Amino acid sequence: MLTFTIRRLLMAIPTLLFISLIIFLILDLAPSDPTASLPLTIPPDVRADIRASLGLDEPIHIRFLLWLNQFFVNEPLNLLQHWTGWDLGGEGRTRVISWQTRSPVVDIIAQRMPQTLWVVGTSYIVGILIALPIGIYSAYRQYSIFDQAGTFVTMVGFSVPPFFSGVLVIVIFAVNLGWFPSVYDTTHVVVDWPSFVIQLKQMILPVMVLALQITSQISRFMRASMLDNLNQDYVRTARAKGLTETVVVMVHVLRNSMIPVVTVIALGVPQVFGGAIITEQVFKVNGLGHLLIGAIQGGDIPTVQTLTFIFAVLIVLFNLVADVLYGILDPRIRYD
Amino acid sequence: MFDDTSRKTLVTVRGLKMYFPIRTGLLRRHTGDVKAVDDVSFDIYEGETLGLVGESGCGKSTCGRVVLRLYDPTEGTISIDGTDISTQGQGALRKMRPVMQMVFQDPQASLNPRMTVADIIGEPLVEHTKLKKAERLDRIYDLMDAVGLNRDFANRYPHEFSGGQRQRIGIARALALNPKFIVCDEPIAALDVSIQAQVVNLLEELQEEFGLTYLFISHDLSMVRHIADRVAVMYLGKIVELAPRDGLYTAPLHPYTEALLSAVPEPDPVAHDTANRTILQGDVPSPANPPKGCNFCTRCPRVMDICHHEDPAFREVQPGRFVACHLHNS
Amino acid sequence: MKFRHLVLGAMAAFAFAPTTAMAERGTDGQLNIIYWQAPSTLNPYLSGGTKEVEAASLVLESMARFDETGALVPFMAADIPTVENGGVAEDLTSITWTLREGLMWSDGTPVTANDAVFTWQYCTHPEGGCAQASYFDGVDSVEAVDDRTVRVNFTEAKPFPYTAFVGAESPIIQAAQFADCLGAAAPECTEANFGPIGTGPFAVEEFRPNDVIVFAANENYRNPDQPAFSRVVFKGGGDAASAARSVLETGEFDYAWNLQIDPTLLAEMEANGIGTVVTAFGTSVERLHLNQFNPDPALGDIRSTAEAGPHPFLTDPIVGQALSMAIDRSLLVEVGYGAGGQPTCNVLPAPELYASTANDDCLVQDIDGANALLDEAGIVDTDGDGIREYNGIPMRVLYQTSTNAVRQDTQALVKQWWSEIGVDAELRNIDASVFFGGDPASPDTFQKFYADIEMYTNNFSGVDPEAYMANWRCSDIPSPESQWQGANIQRFCSEDYDALVTEMSRTAPLEERGRLAREMNDMLMQSYSIIPLIHRGGVSAHANSLGGVRMSDWDSELWNIAEWYRIAE
Repeated sequence: MLTFTIRRLLMAIPTLLFISLIIFLILDLAPSDPTASLPLTIPPDVRADIRASLGLDEPIHIRFLLWLNQFFVNEPLNLLQHWTGWDLGGEGRTRVISWQTRSPVVDIIAQRMPQTLWVVGTSYIVGILIALPIGIYSAYRQYSIFDQAGTFVTMVGFSVPPFFSGVLVIVIFAVNLGWFPSVYDTTHVVVDWPSFVIQLKQMILPVMVLALQITSQISRFMRASMLDNLNQDYVRTARAKGLTETVVVMVHVLRNSMIPVVTVIALGVPQVFGGAIITEQVFKVNGLGHLLIGAIQGGDIPTVQTLTFIFAVLIVLFNLVADVLYGILDPRIRYD
Repeated sequence: MFDDTSRKTLVTVRGLKMYFPIRTGLLRRHTGDVKAVDDVSFDIYEGETLGLVGESGCGKSTCGRVVLRLYDPTEGTISIDGTDISTQGQGALRKMRPVMQMVFQDPQASLNPRMTVADIIGEPLVEHTKLKKAERLDRIYDLMDAVGLNRDFANRYPHEFSGGQRQRIGIARALALNPKFIVCDEPIAALDVSIQAQVVNLLEELQEEFGLTYLFISHDLSMVRHIADRVAVMYLGKIVELAPRDGLYTAPLHPYTEALLSAVPEPDPVAHDTANRTILQGDVPSPANPPKGCNFCTRCPRVMDICHHEDPAFREVQPGRFVACHLHNS
Repeated sequence: MKFRHLVLGAMAAFAFAPTTAMAERGTDGQLNIIYWQAPSTLNPYLSGGTKEVEAASLVLESMARFDETGALVPFMAADIPTVENGGVAEDLTSITWTLREGLMWSDGTPVTANDAVFTWQYCTHPEGGCAQASYFDGVDSVEAVDDRTVRVNFTEAKPFPYTAFVGAESPIIQAAQFADCLGAAAPECTEANFGPIGTGPFAVEEFRPNDVIVFAANENYRNPDQPAFSRVVFKGGGDAASAARSVLETGEFDYAWNLQIDPTLLAEMEANGIGTVVTAFGTSVERLHLNQFNPDPALGDIRSTAEAGPHPFLTDPIVGQALSMAIDRSLLVEVGYGAGGQPTCNVLPAPELYASTANDDCLVQDIDGANALLDEAGIVDTDGDGIREYNGIPMRVLYQTSTNAVRQDTQALVKQWWSEIGVDAELRNIDASVFFGGDPASPDTFQKFYADIEMYTNNFSGVDPEAYMANWRCSDIPSPESQWQGANIQRFCSEDYDALVTEMSRTAPLEERGRLAREMNDMLMQSYSIIPLIHRGGVSAHANSLGGVRMSDWDSELWNIAEWYRIAE
């Protein structure tokens, strides 16, 4: 397993380099101008100066190499210096600078990460916790009223987009009932019980909207996987052994059904980091999804490039995690 | 019917029916049934092996499963060791499980892929006995010895074994609770021919050693001839003939049995070429829509008028020999 | 109601201290402002965006700002220099500002003339990419006469000298803080860019780019009673509708900016009685440009340039006049703009001094009149397909604009009206970042104008239209030679007009400048190369409990936030 992991990690390096080049080229070829969103009152020569100060007048391969150097050499060195306090001679090192904010992209990402992980991460966990029992019971009682209702709800969850469900819950719970705030306060700090309650309240609506989608996906998957296994011979064997129904379902069937579900859950983790662009926008959570969409709209190529590349790294990484998990969970799979 | 009083009946099955409903249309209405097992009755005596033969899809596997209450029967009674299990609840049934066990056809699919051999064999012990961990392990090793498995493999997973070894695991698991009655559902069908004999011999040895009673389900007539004491022949959900082995093989009474036996490969080339074979025409009718009258009337080489409108009763025509055929209704 | 108040109160950490208006500093608790486009920096010189400029205006100030009428109000300066009081040189080549006495930065150090000199150096550094560099156009030098006196010398006579250091877009930054941030080093000073030290009523406490800014009252603010609020939370993100909702429906925020949403929806929200919609009209005009050059795609690369020759029919003012008459501007306002728009017939609608009244006929739709006008001119439908021909050329136009729901509604309505006068319009919309992107390689920019008619909004900042009116000089026509730069988008060219531009640049008296500007406006209008549609204003909303809002479109709309207060319940 270890050699497999190391081999896969090594193989990921050229893959990721290639991905970063593709991202860079796509972004460069796309028609976008960082000064396009400025008011028309700013004259063209000033715009040209702004573009020059952003380094946009350099040829493309120079800009790509510069970015590679900044991202793969300078940023890690800075991080190391920051964590360890060693002096690694950071004076001349340029960092990846966002065109919109003119500040290091990595710092902004670090700043945005907590709210995204809080909100999207929580909804992922909540979604999974709701989805698994629903999926298990729906499969165990296939075509029952519960299963039909679950199918209906998950179809709704699949098909209703968050820009609709988000606004809907705001109108119901924030405007009409006034129970929860409609705007997420990212500066809120949890220090004691009352402030935790406030945090909980401001998280409920976005988590609800996101968890509905996650629940829909995972519960369908869980149900399908359970159905696959429920008809297997070894389940009959387990019943013939005289095991209780709970043991048959929760130990024999569930443990085997969880293999694909766990890998799907692992593969979904990068999406948590990717944030939920629309839901973050609706509730003004201003996490990574909001950062990405804002950077795209503002033509902020270094931010888009860095974010998409980090997502690419996470996707490659969690694919590996999913494979390793598969190997751990399923004794039939051996990598070495 | 049961004149041989010297032998104790372990399993009694009377009028057993297993229908699977067919639901069609938008509202999934109940529009018919697949009559997998349709009014079957037989006894199995203690210590004997009853062979159950028939073509694929005739309902023999379903019959074996429903006898162990892995399905809930539609109608009929099953009693094992004096207890009627046909209507028992799952709780009470679970207490009966140690008495009756099953060995499955596909040793690959019937073993939980995420459990080690020791876990698979030991799980019934956890559920039904109060053995301590060390005692349990001893018992697992004993069982592995009994079925001819190397003790060192106790912590391996099923996929690491060959087909024959896996079937040994399945047998050891079935034996774990000292059952009296084991349904062997085509235990050798998925194995290589060279392994089949080993497994059958193992089953015979174990029967002798532990005094087991088998219901041996197979489509392989020669293997059944080898292991069974009595043989039941099934066609389209019904038992058409039940007789002691030798009688059945030498003088079959039902035309279907006759046809089946004539299809058995003959090892002697001379006899093989000269044999007067009965080749059945047509396909087995659908169990969802069996023919009127005798189930076999559409393919019977000796079909009569009466066969098309009257279903023959399953009767004892000679001592110990039962058949359902109008030819023997005189 | 009570429960809801508690929740909201807890959520926003309101301090429920009942206060009277104009109390002491910091007694009115927290002020919550929502800008649905979040500021990405607090250095307005590094980002020309309105959101950054306005957020920074809480901290950074200029010598003077414009109030809601467009009049100058001294801020850092003691008074407004004029020729009369000797602050502006007789020959109009310099202006001398005097700083208020005892003016302090929020860190407690005194403001000196050197800070202004440094600001000029900072923004005019060739490698800095300063977004507000045009404010220092024509500035020869900035010198510190003494600690409190700053003289701005112009290269030539400047009849309107209130550009550098005036208004929210040209604030004075602290020399000490930005000393190491000149030129190429500007973006590396993240700390300074995110937390500039200013003289305004608030100081930055926390800045999260594109998310939220927390301001605290500036302890060293020059007026000891201001600001009334102790804290400002300046939240960004979401969209205009949800920002409006948070002020007008849930009451979570006190002030929301730029609410360009469906006017009926906004009116419904306002009906809740929690907040008020406010508007301020500056100089933004949504207009149609009629290409005076031939944009025929068959001409290839020379289309829409002088080489392509004049447009087959749009150069005729009769055609432009008919197109203008066919439009019902009031309906366009009703459908798309609501309180945020007024019908207008002038490309220069404000300030009042410069606004012409000569063209107001266009305010009333007159389709019959337009038809009659075209019939009289002999522009008729000769082949019976419902489309008039101009010298045999059917009047089909390609009508483009940026992608935006209101603009597409307008396009559809205008197309309908034009079809009633026998003009067929093909509609096209282009993503705003491409349309306004100015990429010389893209065929879809508004400067290239590869279409017959295009629509967008333009304006000028400040109150003086001189530079804006100079846009329509012949020399400002975009062309391949100028890399398609230039603001004379419709390619209007008139010697008489150019003469007026030159005259205005030499005229100082305001009355005379007003006359010239009106004359130029009328000349443009009568050429019908440009058809103004809507005078657009900023639409914001504030809670009814917020007092002192005097929204101005001539400056940051938060220009007087120091005077804002909580109205006692």
